[in-house]
Amino acid sequence: MRLIPSRLWPSLLAVSLLAVVLGVGLVTTPPASGQAPPPWKQGQPADMANSPLAPIAQPPSPKAPGEIPIAKIKVPPGFKVELWAHGINNARAMTWGDKGTLFVSSRVAGNVYAVVDKGGQREVKMIAKGLNQPNGVAFKDGTLYVAEISRITKMPGIEDKLDNPPAMEVVYDILPRDLPHGWKYLAFGPDGKLYFNIGAPCNICIPPDTHANISRVNADGSGFEYFAHGVRNSVGFDWHPVTKELYFATHARDWLGEDVPSDRFDHAPRKGLHFGFPYCHQGDIPDPEFGKGRSCAEFAAPLIKTGPHVAGNGVEFYTGSMFPPEYQNRAFLAQRGSWNRTKKIGFRVMMVTLRPGDVPKYDVFAEGWLDGDNVWGRPVYTKQMKDGSLLIADDYAGAIYRITYKP
Amino acid sequence: MTAVAAGSGAAADLEAGKRKAEVCAACHGRDGNATIPGTPSLAGQPVYFTHWQLIKFKDGRRKDPQMTPFVQSLSDADMADLSAYYQTQTPRRRPFATDPAKVVEGQRLANVHHCTSCHRPGLTGQEQAARLAGQDFDYLLRLLRGFKAKTASDLDGTMTTATQPLTDAEIVSLVHFIATLGAQP
Repeated sequence: MRLIPSRLWPSLLAVSLLAVVLGVGLVTTPPASGQAPPPWKQGQPADMANSPLAPIAQPPSPKAPGEIPIAKIKVPPGFKVELWAHGINNARAMTWGDKGTLFVSSRVAGNVYAVVDKGGQREVKMIAKGLNQPNGVAFKDGTLYVAEISRITKMPGIEDKLDNPPAMEVVYDILPRDLPHGWKYLAFGPDGKLYFNIGAPCNICIPPDTHANISRVNADGSGFEYFAHGVRNSVGFDWHPVTKELYFATHARDWLGEDVPSDRFDHAPRKGLHFGFPYCHQGDIPDPEFGKGRSCAEFAAPLIKTGPHVAGNGVEFYTGSMFPPEYQNRAFLAQRGSWNRTKKIGFRVMMVTLRPGDVPKYDVFAEGWLDGDNVWGRPVYTKQMKDGSLLIADDYAGAIYRITYKP
Repeated sequence: MTAVAAGSGAAADLEAGKRKAEVCAACHGRDGNATIPGTPSLAGQPVYFTHWQLIKFKDGRRKDPQMTPFVQSLSDADMADLSAYYQTQTPRRRPFATDPAKVVEGQRLANVHHCTSCHRPGLTGQEQAARLAGQDFDYLLRLLRGFKAKTASDLDGTMTTATQPLTDAEIVSLVHFIATLGAQP
């Protein structure tokens, strides 16, 4: 069936205008799908044009402590949840300074925060604002590195100047300016290089050669190179504590169905692998449009299919001593939760146990931010504390939780 | 005191919002319906939209010679209260001389360019997406041209992306259409 304007304008069309609009539409209007819709709607099939599904809006302000029902968060026996910090608008990725400052990023709020632990009280300072989706923060040798859409900057000596932050110095600023999937996760690899994602600038498309990858650059801005290809958008990765190999989460495309394709947890033991986007999803579903003439066998398959639309963000291997011994080297996966699915899924922290010669074990660690159909929080990244407890950032509530364990 | 959750986390205070809005009234109208050409109406704007714009004015991502200095003294609670107040006010269409041919063309363009995907049928706005229906002609024109020129502040890039294929004549037609929507003045 031809897509006509009235499908999109049910409440606007005056009957008297119908003939005019249809006339114009049929003569000169290509199907609406031929124009560029907003990125989140791109790839939506014509028969779903009136779907009420849309991304969950980010609240403009953090929740007050009394509005954060931490008792709803379920964790395994022996674990305990507390509200560690609040009032951090759009709190996202976390990284530790050498002197114990927790640096916290945000996305659309445009801020970078420093959280100072003052023995039971946390003080939150804004150290940068008005930035272009500064989702990535990494710390090395006294210097904080921040990744925005198209640049990486640094703030040397920041921990001694939290109340008077130094100017941000450019490390690397010739990255693509595309905003869709342009926000970055940023981390230092075991090789001392800065790793970050350059996401596909779309829901589904043949991306430019410069996009849909994980890239790396030296801390002085030299030596840029692509590390992994065919990665739609990975905003969370970490290196295995023993093998030092890269593992990463990827958000899969939308509008292909309730239960497909699955998001992925991937393993990139070396540079140069291709993970399938946009030709093949979840390792075994050729894209209906872009998969023609290609085979899923050409590409690296996911280590784990983490679930449809779960929105896997943070990836972190546990190396602490507080949790039971079996938690050593397990990966925590923070899943911010679905929008492109009628029945919501995600809104939880999963854990992955890698097993040599066997498929990984994949279990729930913390859940409860989805209460029935009501979303009150979205766990987005984790960060281990020195004492082995685990912080979880929630960008929807603007809060950070701490998980502790006592036998 | 009337408190509403307002969808923005910390409960906003409507009475406080009304009181705090008194200083905004000179330009935006007592009830958020502005009359000065080029100045947007705030009545009926979704609370997330107004709040995010205030945040962006304050942190410098959105710049305006009048708004930028004005917002510097606003606290987080001020922004929440003001946004909640304006959402509850009834929007009226701004006076505007319609060009029927441009309205028809603008409706076609609004359709082809998926404006309702975020701004809702009737372009009444939702969450962080502005209410457009009946908004001031000059303001809409300035903003759309700014997005096209990549100089207007965009929360997540959607508007910058959406306006790139538009010609200036198409932007004018779109604005003719949008400005005619909504209740009569």
